[in-house]
Amino acid sequence: MSQAPTPVAPAPAPERPLPTPTRESQPYWDGMREGRFLLQYCSSCGKVRHYPRPVCPHCFSMESEFKEAPLGGSLHAWTVCHHPFNFFFKASAPYIVALVDMDAGVRVNAQLHGIPESELKIGRRVKLGFEPVNKEVTLPVFVAD
Amino acid sequence: MVHPLRDKAAVSGIGETAYTRGTTKSGLALQLEASLKALDDAGIDPSDVDGVIPYFPGGAIAEDFIANLGLKDLTLSAFIPMGGATCVAAIQMAAMAVTTGVCKHVLISVGRTGYSGSRVSTRLQQFPVFAQAAEFELPIGMFAPAQLYAQGARRHMELYGTTARQFAEVAVVTRQHAILNGNVVMNKPLTVEDHHASRMISDPFRLFDCSLESDGGAAVIVSAADRAKDLRKPLVTIAGVAEGHPESPASIAQRPDILEFGLVKSAPRAYAMAGVGPKDIDVAEIYDCFTFTVIRQLEILGFCKAGEGGPFVMDGRIALGGELPINTHGGLLSQGHVVGLNHVIELTRQLRGEAGRAQVKDAETGLVTGYGDMGDGSIAILRRAA
Repeated sequence: MSQAPTPVAPAPAPERPLPTPTRESQPYWDGMREGRFLLQYCSSCGKVRHYPRPVCPHCFSMESEFKEAPLGGSLHAWTVCHHPFNFFFKASAPYIVALVDMDAGVRVNAQLHGIPESELKIGRRVKLGFEPVNKEVTLPVFVAD
Repeated sequence: MVHPLRDKAAVSGIGETAYTRGTTKSGLALQLEASLKALDDAGIDPSDVDGVIPYFPGGAIAEDFIANLGLKDLTLSAFIPMGGATCVAAIQMAAMAVTTGVCKHVLISVGRTGYSGSRVSTRLQQFPVFAQAAEFELPIGMFAPAQLYAQGARRHMELYGTTARQFAEVAVVTRQHAILNGNVVMNKPLTVEDHHASRMISDPFRLFDCSLESDGGAAVIVSAADRAKDLRKPLVTIAGVAEGHPESPASIAQRPDILEFGLVKSAPRAYAMAGVGPKDIDVAEIYDCFTFTVIRQLEILGFCKAGEGGPFVMDGRIALGGELPINTHGGLLSQGHVVGLNHVIELTRQLRGEAGRAQVKDAETGLVTGYGDMGDGSIAILRRAA
């Protein structure tokens, strides 16, 4: 029994991978959307923790609050991504992903814009900025301080 | 006090399929094919197996082994979700099971269609440990191991002066060893120039710094040493074995030292269990998902100091005939990627004297590592029974 060939739809444009916030991380992403860098601080011992999680690993308190943190930091390490493992990033490759020691005491990984690869060195100062990608989601991005 | 596991368990059977790029077989079929070979190598019947640790997530569950191999009475079914550290960590669990009498023979298997099936970025989204990376790093274009581990490699280069030339040496030597093996995906010579000319994947990793996406299956049987001594092949005991998990295990970014691997914790435990040190190791099969990963593990294992792994790999030191031959089968870089179970198989062959053209003369004691899931580290020290 023969069947008519199924028409092949053109491949859709690759979609940007987006974060799926958890109950713990929702305030962080809400902050990003508002252009504020909110980090989770223990209500008991005051220590900061990132990525967000239910229990303070220092004093085991489950009470915490999200507070605005300073945007400055210094470069800890980086990579220049040439091969787009996710097709969405094919158009923008190569791009730099910087791992930054934030002055707030945590690290953030984000794309680094506006500084050429040849000028990267450990300890170089950078600043966290905000890059809205749609109405719901804003991602961190690093720029020159 | 001698550790109660020291030399009490043995690798009694090994089996592997052809390593290829392209197969019509499923991951399950590859695992079963390798398992049947391992059973034959040990000289035991499938019905003798009472423990199964399949690679997860890898297309097979212990129930598949009951259904296909007719296992009569399975007493242990387990997954060890440690990515590239899984297989060697499974050796630890299997050794515990056969030494305590829970099991007689434990089958550890891997089957992968890493070339013809789904590729690395897709597979990783099934890994529970990658949830944070998927939330915080995938959206910024950072998710594949080549990207996640590249930052540590770059930092090592900046701090210690480690060079691409040294990375290349690992790739070139590994390829030389692969060519001696025969059952390998990459069978053409590789030069330093080839390495340097290969395309950049995620700086500082070039194509030839990265392990293969390949198809294949591998299996190992672990038995109590006093049972294994009566089986078909020369006795190779598990002298020491350990797994280790780094701080911030699910996020390299948040790890206080991004160059800390779980091996920092597991290596001293395994050496102590075996009662040996780095100087006693005749051959080492080091998990080589990336060239740099080998360099850093050699430091952690105590073959050289932190920061000196780059110079250490030069001048023929890690090649056959050198001070510490490594990855004598071609590793994940050139033989095939079966999550390092091929490293366990190669070390067993070396200690049995079955390694053919890649045989390390008089190899008595060797080690094998696993590395994965963003830094988990496992290690086994095997030795030929006196």
